[in-house]
Amino acid sequence: CSQYQQVLRKDDMGKKYALADSLYKMEKYKKSLKLMEQLVPVYRGKPQGEKLMFIYANTYYNLEDYYLAGYQFERFAQAYPQSDSIEVASFKAAKSFYQLSPRYSLDQKDTDKGLEKLQEFINQYPNSEKRTEANALVAELRGKLEKKQYEVAKQYLRVEDYKAAIDAFDNFITDNPGSSYRKDAFYGRFVAAYKLAINSIPVLVQERLRTAKGYYNNFIKYYKDTDLAPEALELYQDIESRIVPLETEPNT
Amino acid sequence: QQKELDSGRKYTINEITVTGAQNFNEQTVIAFTGLKKGDRIYIPGEKLSQVTKKLWEQNLFSDIAFYVTNVEGDNVDLELYIVELPKLREVVISGKGVRKAKKKEIIKDNDLKAGAKITKNLLTTTKNYITNLYKKDGFYNTEVTINTTPYTDSTGVEESRNMVISVDKGKRVKVKNINFEGNEQFSDGKLRRSMKKTKRKNLIRFWKRSKFTEEGFEEDRESLLKKYKSNGYRDARIINDTLRVLDRKNVALDINLEEGDKYYFGDIKFIGNSVFTDGQLRQILGIKTGEVYNGILLQERIQDDSDPEANDLTNLYQNNGYLAARINPVEVAVRNDTIDFEIRIMERSLFYFDHVTVIGNDRTNDHVIYRELRTRPGQKYSKRDVVRTIRELGQLGFFDPEQLSPNFKKVDENNGLVDLEYSVVEKGSSQIELQGGYGGGGFVGTLGLSFNNFSLRNIFNLSSYKPLPMGDGQKLSIRAQASSYYQTYSLSLTEPWLGGRKPVQLSTSFSHTIQNYYDPRQRRADKTRSFTITGGSVGLAKKVKWPDDYFVWSNAISFQHYNLNNYNTGLFTFGDGYSNNLAYTIGISRNNTATNPIYPTSGSDFSITAKLTPPYSAFNSVDYKALSRERDQLALTNPDNPEFVDDNKRISAIDQERFKWLEYYKIKFKGTWYTKLVEKLVLRTNTEFGFLGAYNQDRGIPPFERYFVGGDGLGAYSLDGREVIQLRGYPNQSLTPIDGNTIYNKFSLEVRYPVTLAQMASIYVLGFAEGGASYDGFRDYNPFELKRSAGVGLRIFMPAFGLLGIDFGYGFDPVLGGTEKNGWEPHFIIGQQF
Repeated sequence: CSQYQQVLRKDDMGKKYALADSLYKMEKYKKSLKLMEQLVPVYRGKPQGEKLMFIYANTYYNLEDYYLAGYQFERFAQAYPQSDSIEVASFKAAKSFYQLSPRYSLDQKDTDKGLEKLQEFINQYPNSEKRTEANALVAELRGKLEKKQYEVAKQYLRVEDYKAAIDAFDNFITDNPGSSYRKDAFYGRFVAAYKLAINSIPVLVQERLRTAKGYYNNFIKYYKDTDLAPEALELYQDIESRIVPLETEPNT
Repeated sequence: QQKELDSGRKYTINEITVTGAQNFNEQTVIAFTGLKKGDRIYIPGEKLSQVTKKLWEQNLFSDIAFYVTNVEGDNVDLELYIVELPKLREVVISGKGVRKAKKKEIIKDNDLKAGAKITKNLLTTTKNYITNLYKKDGFYNTEVTINTTPYTDSTGVEESRNMVISVDKGKRVKVKNINFEGNEQFSDGKLRRSMKKTKRKNLIRFWKRSKFTEEGFEEDRESLLKKYKSNGYRDARIINDTLRVLDRKNVALDINLEEGDKYYFGDIKFIGNSVFTDGQLRQILGIKTGEVYNGILLQERIQDDSDPEANDLTNLYQNNGYLAARINPVEVAVRNDTIDFEIRIMERSLFYFDHVTVIGNDRTNDHVIYRELRTRPGQKYSKRDVVRTIRELGQLGFFDPEQLSPNFKKVDENNGLVDLEYSVVEKGSSQIELQGGYGGGGFVGTLGLSFNNFSLRNIFNLSSYKPLPMGDGQKLSIRAQASSYYQTYSLSLTEPWLGGRKPVQLSTSFSHTIQNYYDPRQRRADKTRSFTITGGSVGLAKKVKWPDDYFVWSNAISFQHYNLNNYNTGLFTFGDGYSNNLAYTIGISRNNTATNPIYPTSGSDFSITAKLTPPYSAFNSVDYKALSRERDQLALTNPDNPEFVDDNKRISAIDQERFKWLEYYKIKFKGTWYTKLVEKLVLRTNTEFGFLGAYNQDRGIPPFERYFVGGDGLGAYSLDGREVIQLRGYPNQSLTPIDGNTIYNKFSLEVRYPVTLAQMASIYVLGFAEGGASYDGFRDYNPFELKRSAGVGLRIFMPAFGLLGIDFGYGFDPVLGGTEKNGWEPHFIIGQQF
């Protein structure tokens, strides 16, 4: 360790470089990073710079400082567009942003950025072996955004603001074709419409029951054989028992 | 030797030399021209002009010229002659009364940093900049001189130049006189008063100095005309105004006016309204035919820019879904002195909210925010709801109230849909209290933690500790205090939306205190003698929609058990025994203060609560009347009487019976109003009243739960549910006897002005006048017999530390038992919010 301190303090860049490299290989990233911080400004633009900048970025990545890792990998990709490691660097830059994406219930600006970067990577390296992983990450982030929007709609249902719930589920269905929450959204919209109807003032009940029936039909059209179908059917039967056929409805 | 150059011919450059360079390397200059040996160019030709221009644009040289020094056939030698601009080394700004901040500003705004090239342009712009800078403050005679002196290196070559800017601000120009001409309807004095920025010299008016500035005068011209326009003179105009320089210190203004005729409102017609009737619109407009014409009022009734929540025509539409409605008043006819109006309304379509999103919540979970939104998908657009949502998000205490903003992301007129995005900025909402010190004969340590945005469900989820599970909007406070002879622990938890369905707030708290007898002679605690208090409470508070939806209805049950073990306190006449305090508190409160909870600027907050214990005496068949009579007689015993000891024992036994279960009821009222006086100056008006009574007069009012008036109002170390009422200007609890009182009232006026409301620290200053007193029962009660005080103070709120403050109060009345007025009294306020 004392040797490390000596090298850290002295001005011999060659020794520093060698030690930084060996520490990096030994996965002692924190120590290695301290040396690299001194080396990077010196070697920028020099032949050794390419490798150094890459392991520098990767050290941040391994230390889970994804914010700086993403930044450094992007800088690397800009500075050495001809590098052999360019593909890996681009991927890791994108993956860093993926790592920064927070849980679905918080602000998703980092998720949006991750998606953008991953998509850029996929477009730029369509034959990369990392493509499958990149696609999986994209799917995961998309899923997160979908979950966010779905959960908000579900919350409107939970706080019994049925009108807002119907609208929010509606928006979800339009905005997210092919989402894994689509079934639940169709079901949620139906439940919200049903509850709105049965909690309405008498004049509005019939009309709203019919709307709910429409949403049931939409649901059952796509998700007839799913786990939610029996529950939906139960509500539907209740609607049927409450609904008054149009002809027999008394004129008001 | 002069040779002719053939202008139609290309030459090859043989050699380029640079002359005149001082700081630049010749090679650098050549590289910069882009010319190199062997290039073939026309001489003279476009290429050379381009190069010259390019060099010139660098702003590095004051002279650039190319010379041909030698021509041999096709080959030429070129000489580039340059004169470098001097470089700036250091700037010194001198001048009486030029403040440091101003100097920095001058240097920054003019880019006067080391290495900058000193051009003529730079000198002129800097000079003008400084003159204008002071003109804005009313210094019209500012003189600026800029000198540069060469700075030479050791070889005597000029390396760069130092710059000395000397500023002579001169005297601030004062307005000696303002003369009006052409004014018949308003006196000179009235017109001068309407000018807010430009004032005449006046020794008495010390709060606003006379000065003349272009900007201020521009504003005042507007306000002069406004004065006329709001009194029917819609054609009033300033024909001309002259600024006369009297001497170096004084100027005079001559304003020549034309008042024009006085006009009246004629017919006002509404056109284009289909949603609201003429009657409805007319009522809000509030202007009748025949009234004196007032263009300013008309504009305000249509759209009042000074108040976003004003009751004007625009908001009538904005609050009912018509986002794109436009309202224009048009003069359609002028009949003599009467003007007919048409108020043309384009209602456009109804708008509904479509996507409603939140951004910026890096810590607080969506569900905590979305449940507070009053603008939800499918709802009709309403500006009022947007404003209210912003207000309520601010009150959560998780976001910086000054940075909350609603953004309209997409306004689609075809579908009548609008996407709204709320942008929030998280702020620190946890507080830590860590104290240690000597007091009461030993070390006292306190550790208090309060997390205002806690996530209880993640308490066992280790990965959520960054550094603590946050984001579910729950509030958790833990506090422990210990010294050698007492320990107290408390824990409280608040969940604002119980079950996540309805805004029903559940709060629970638990506390436990052990106090041992402190033996002053042995200077240590006697563990065999103790007094313990264990208590807890559970409360539910629900937002209700009636009478309006600012009301909160609350219920709570609290219980405290006191246990005495050979321990005498002033509270009880017995040293061994127990007492229970079980009570139900019911309250209703209304709070519509806005927007910043630390610095409300409008709205009011009031509450009424009743705390009731069960009426045990009504059904427990104890004859309190007899006990009371017996006790009264026993209390008369002379201490010399041999029966004294036995009698005291009996009194203790009676009191144990009386206080087994405490019996009382307590009613409190509190109201606070916030009024914006001018700009950010806010008046806080507060009134409070409290009453404690007994169901059974023979059982009497217990010595608990009483009011203590005076001092900083901080909840001191209290065992008996006492309420400490703030009344500044007097020592703590100095206005109430030691046993406390059963009635109190208080009235307070406080004026506040914010120094800063930044996220890091909110600071405001205040001045107050208040009065209050406590009384022993209704027979004593006299709301006009108050202890009065006034003073000034300062508050600093920092998210991590809570509120810190200091007040100096002057008590105009004597404290209890005193005869002279109390005088100045300092108060330190810690942690007590708002």
